[in-house]
Amino acid sequence: MTMSSRDKILAAVKSNQPDFRELPPLPGETASAADASSANAATPNFSPEQLASKFIGLLEGIGGSAYIVSGFDRITHILREEHADAKRIVSGCPELASLAETPAHYDDPHTLENIDLAVLRAHFGVAENGACWITEDLMIERALPFIAQHLALVIHKKDIVANMHEAYERIAKAEKDGMTYGFATFIAGPSKTADIEQSLVLGAHGPRSMTVFLLDEEMSDAGFY
Amino acid sequence: MKESTKDHAALASQFNKDEPRVDWHDKTLWWIREKRDKAAHGVPEWELLRDTASGIKENVLSRLSEYLLQFEEQAIRNGVKVHWAADAKEHNEIISSILRQHAVNKMVKSKSMLTEECHLNEYLQEQGIEVVDTDLGERVVQLAGEPPSHIVLPCIHWKKEEIGELFHEHLGTPAGNADPQFLTHAARLHLREKFLTRRVALTGVNFAVAETGEFVVCTNEGNADMGAHLADVHIACMGIEKLIPQRKHLGVFLRLLTRSATGQPITTYSSHFKKPRPGQEMHIVLVDNGRSIHLGRPDFRSSLKCIRCAACFNTCPVYRRSGGHSYHTAVAGPIGSILAPNLDMKKYADLPFASTLCGSCSNVCPVKIDIHEQLYKWRQVIVQAGNAPIAKKAAMQTMTWVLSNPSVYHTAGKAGRWFMANVPFTVNNSLNPWYKQREMPEPPASSFGEWYKKNKK
Amino acid sequence: MKVGLFIPCYVDQFYPQVGIATLQLLEKYGCEVVYPAGQTCCGQPMANSGFEHLTKGTNELFIKNFQEFDYIVCPSGSCVLHIKDHLHSEHPASPDPAVGIRKKIYELVEFLTDILKIDHLEAKFRHKVGLHQACHGQRGLKLSQMSELVAPPFSKPEHLLKMVQGIELIELDRKDECCGFGGTFCVAEEAVSVKMGKDRVADHLHNGAEYITGADMSCLMHLEGILQRQKSKTRVKHIAEILNSQE
Repeated sequence: MTMSSRDKILAAVKSNQPDFRELPPLPGETASAADASSANAATPNFSPEQLASKFIGLLEGIGGSAYIVSGFDRITHILREEHADAKRIVSGCPELASLAETPAHYDDPHTLENIDLAVLRAHFGVAENGACWITEDLMIERALPFIAQHLALVIHKKDIVANMHEAYERIAKAEKDGMTYGFATFIAGPSKTADIEQSLVLGAHGPRSMTVFLLDEEMSDAGFY
Repeated sequence: MKESTKDHAALASQFNKDEPRVDWHDKTLWWIREKRDKAAHGVPEWELLRDTASGIKENVLSRLSEYLLQFEEQAIRNGVKVHWAADAKEHNEIISSILRQHAVNKMVKSKSMLTEECHLNEYLQEQGIEVVDTDLGERVVQLAGEPPSHIVLPCIHWKKEEIGELFHEHLGTPAGNADPQFLTHAARLHLREKFLTRRVALTGVNFAVAETGEFVVCTNEGNADMGAHLADVHIACMGIEKLIPQRKHLGVFLRLLTRSATGQPITTYSSHFKKPRPGQEMHIVLVDNGRSIHLGRPDFRSSLKCIRCAACFNTCPVYRRSGGHSYHTAVAGPIGSILAPNLDMKKYADLPFASTLCGSCSNVCPVKIDIHEQLYKWRQVIVQAGNAPIAKKAAMQTMTWVLSNPSVYHTAGKAGRWFMANVPFTVNNSLNPWYKQREMPEPPASSFGEWYKKNKK
Repeated sequence: MKVGLFIPCYVDQFYPQVGIATLQLLEKYGCEVVYPAGQTCCGQPMANSGFEHLTKGTNELFIKNFQEFDYIVCPSGSCVLHIKDHLHSEHPASPDPAVGIRKKIYELVEFLTDILKIDHLEAKFRHKVGLHQACHGQRGLKLSQMSELVAPPFSKPEHLLKMVQGIELIELDRKDECCGFGGTFCVAEEAVSVKMGKDRVADHLHNGAEYITGADMSCLMHLEGILQRQKSKTRVKHIAEILNSQE
């Protein structure tokens, strides 16, 4: 009776694998418990202001843009100015209905080909690398954050974690609260390549620009840019 | 693809005929090493992260069969079809059978070194299936009809003028245009058409999570996502060693991967694929192709911890001055030199010797593989297996005899110095490889031993 | 303390002045130094070429010649590293002398800094000097911090060189890249070996070195071969000679 490849592989692996080695704790985790609210012991505690500032610095360093805004009126205003030529804008935010299509889904992702700008909510940002975590339920269509010529994401300014360990703690907590995903991604800046003689070019296959709006509800509009 | 019978030394020698080009290749890759250093120094707990990553991967290798079963169970539960391929041939057959099932003869592919290892593109092309590589660097080498020379920067050995000519020939860009921005945009338009029309997309896998059945694909370009989210069928290929135990471990690896590879804090996209899109089919092909054998080698199994960042390539002074094609294997550089002999010891017997054992590789490796120590150990295995050239074996036996016998050593040393002093052309000639580009050392009148005997005894 | 002096085979045959300088330095700092006449080679040339199984003879010779000493000191990082990592006896006595030797063998620089704990040198070398960090000494014996690691900098050779009067240490563009000697690599992969050596030499020359020094004469021999082919005025000098110099 011939074994399937699956059985052959598993048998070979099982017989060849080395003696058990325990998993190490993650940086910041103590050996006793992976406390969900543990501050990362390997890095100092940052204040929300510091995290936002670090996040913006990183994002700008990788070719993205950031705006701290009081609300969607400001976002609308900025987008109208920056994307005056946009013919087709799609958004997952009903607050932007005045300038964008805001459907619940599309039947065929190929029809998104001519989208100039996609504006979506994301869950949180990561200060150490300028990335935002977005799950498919916020994307309308999985292809949308990639196929649009330009991308903007909206997060709350207070929703910025220090590093990737905290990011995954937050994702795990959300999952416990029932928020699962079939697809999700971290997006850090516009798409890019340096494959031609290490010259950095923004806009490889994904969006050519990427903007993050940080909602700061405590901000007032007065004295604004 | 032409099979070369030349070894690393011969191919590297050819590469070195164009010294300015070697300087350019070397400086470019060193610059990437420096960017990696800057990024690493920005993470104070960097060495702790390396230890942690190494420990996680060692745990994975020690429980690999259990993690594979766990991953399969979760993936199936998520609606993903899981295939197992014992070797490259089976891997290729599985993919072509999926394509046949869907009556598809055109597909897009994002970067997967595993598919290079399996020579998938050639196999599919023979069956009349068009494969378009969508990573810009991969597309360049595909158009040029060559394999990539670097696992992260596939066309690092191509100058922009040469890419400009290539694109002029294949994409119709204006002759003489070598502007990276312009050429990238031309590639964007050219490949966008492929994304929009191909129904099958194949991607690699950077990490697969046993706990949840999801896998992560990291790109800067977004090509893996553009392919997968527009295709009816997404096929993901992975080596069985790419597993990690739990999703939270991704935090460690995503902090290390891109900083080690290019000095960026993270790739633009770190996409977590868990379930197929409604109406889409998702397949994962788990590939062995020698990995289970390698797992059984106590001295060498830890090379399976590799996360394919290429930090070892960028730091290797030999790789930078010989180029990836000198290694005549899919994965080149230091890590390739300790993986390839497992696949075919005879064919790759030269690779562990393409090194000065400087140890730089082991110290940039994010998962702390003892690469330089494994290079030394492979040398012993290769020689014991009878793969050393006869002339070398004879020379070594002579050397052993001389060095194991003090009186022979003293006589030989004295004689050698006499010849060098009095009949220099016996060593200063074209048969002596040292002499080709270096002067021989001056032979002193006495050895240290002779001086000591005369002056101290 | 009784120190057994281990002189690498190529230093014995081609650079006896390095052995002499090493001996003189050790005696200057109060060591009783003996050079066992029956020594030959540590066995590294065979071992690194894949012929470790041929090093039984050199291992036994080494054990026979050096087991009696309190310390064994050698002016070569790579030879010391090889002994530390690979010396063993086919039929070890009990206690195993190879184990003892591996514990008490030191490269010259680390012996001066860690055991003799020298804080002062009566030495003069009024020249611009580039320090070549030989790989096995640096990454293997931890003679100085390597640039790959995120860790505090230190350098034992620099610490000693800074005690030399009149010396001017230059900064290199690439602090610790390999010179390309690599044992039989230097002839088996001649093209790459020489290119690596030329690049190291260029880095030193570009930064003004009149002398290139280091703790490993094998690296220096390779760089010297290139310097002389280029008819350069820059010379190589082993660190033992500089630390012992009155120039």
